[in-house]
Amino acid sequence: MEFGSARFRCHLDENQRLSIIPAMITQMRVKGLIFDPYNNAYIVVLRDEDNTDMLPIWVGKSEASAIGLAIENVTAPRPMTHDLMKSFLDVFDAKVISVVITDLNDNTYYAKIHLTFEDSEYTVDSRPSDAIALALRTSAPIFASESVIKKQSSDELEQWLENLKPEDFGKLDS
Amino acid sequence: MAPMKPDLALVEVKVKQVIEDSSTDTKIVVLKNEDGSETLPIWVGASEGQAIRLAMDHAVSPRPMSHDLIRSFAEHLEVTIQHVVLTDVKSSTYYATIHLTSKGVDRTLDARPSDAIALALRATRPIYVTRDVLGRRTAANLDAWVAKLETKNIET
Repeated sequence: MEFGSARFRCHLDENQRLSIIPAMITQMRVKGLIFDPYNNAYIVVLRDEDNTDMLPIWVGKSEASAIGLAIENVTAPRPMTHDLMKSFLDVFDAKVISVVITDLNDNTYYAKIHLTFEDSEYTVDSRPSDAIALALRTSAPIFASESVIKKQSSDELEQWLENLKPEDFGKLDS
Repeated sequence: MAPMKPDLALVEVKVKQVIEDSSTDTKIVVLKNEDGSETLPIWVGASEGQAIRLAMDHAVSPRPMSHDLIRSFAEHLEVTIQHVVLTDVKSSTYYATIHLTSKGVDRTLDARPSDAIALALRATRPIYVTRDVLGRRTAANLDAWVAKLETKNIET
């Protein structure tokens, strides 16, 4: 499958197109879920295909659990919140085409969920944790805008990650 | 097709409070009918209870929470959330359905009561419990038990 960025520009006129081309997006994969004991939170680690770019996203415990269940392909006996989200879209034949981590402001990340429904495209604002949990359940690709990847202070983080023991990644780093 | 009307065997309830269960990592959602004569406590996870509490308080979070996102999907797809029903209880697991309408067609989704309740509160839609579920509450002295909890642990 190929996921070009063209689909995100299809409704824009020529001027908007020119301004949006430099804001490229990169496809990312969820590489793992790490517990961050200093902040009592979890880090979702996203990496691009050739492992040159990395994007860590801090999420709460329940958001991490929603992502963790999807990574490990665990089906809960009762539908979890994002399973409900998926069945909501399924019952109306709405499809998640992609999710994009779009912005980072004061350590808050923003994401967009792109849907198709009855031949129309919709973009829905969401938290990255919801977008990722839903993308993993619908096999939709996850993208990050390059401005977001550049904004995060990668040096500091690479070092922090290198200090982690392999077992901290657990079996999620597949 | 006529809009779905709740069955006569359905009793409308409201979320009265969310209580911490200090002995476990769970919260208790206390549902009561209109005149307060019927009480149904439901045990939910800590984060599910938190989502319900935020929805009760009409708290607006800076970023959309998961149930806000479902509501937002509904708005985009022009789907109306009609009501939710707590339909069944099997070995202390509760079952719920979410009733939706899209272009005059009714749809029903299976859900956990915690999601159904959080969504109903966010969308300001009614919550119903079947008479059957109300009648199958285990302890006969539940009201007394809830009252006892309240004195120790009142949610403000």
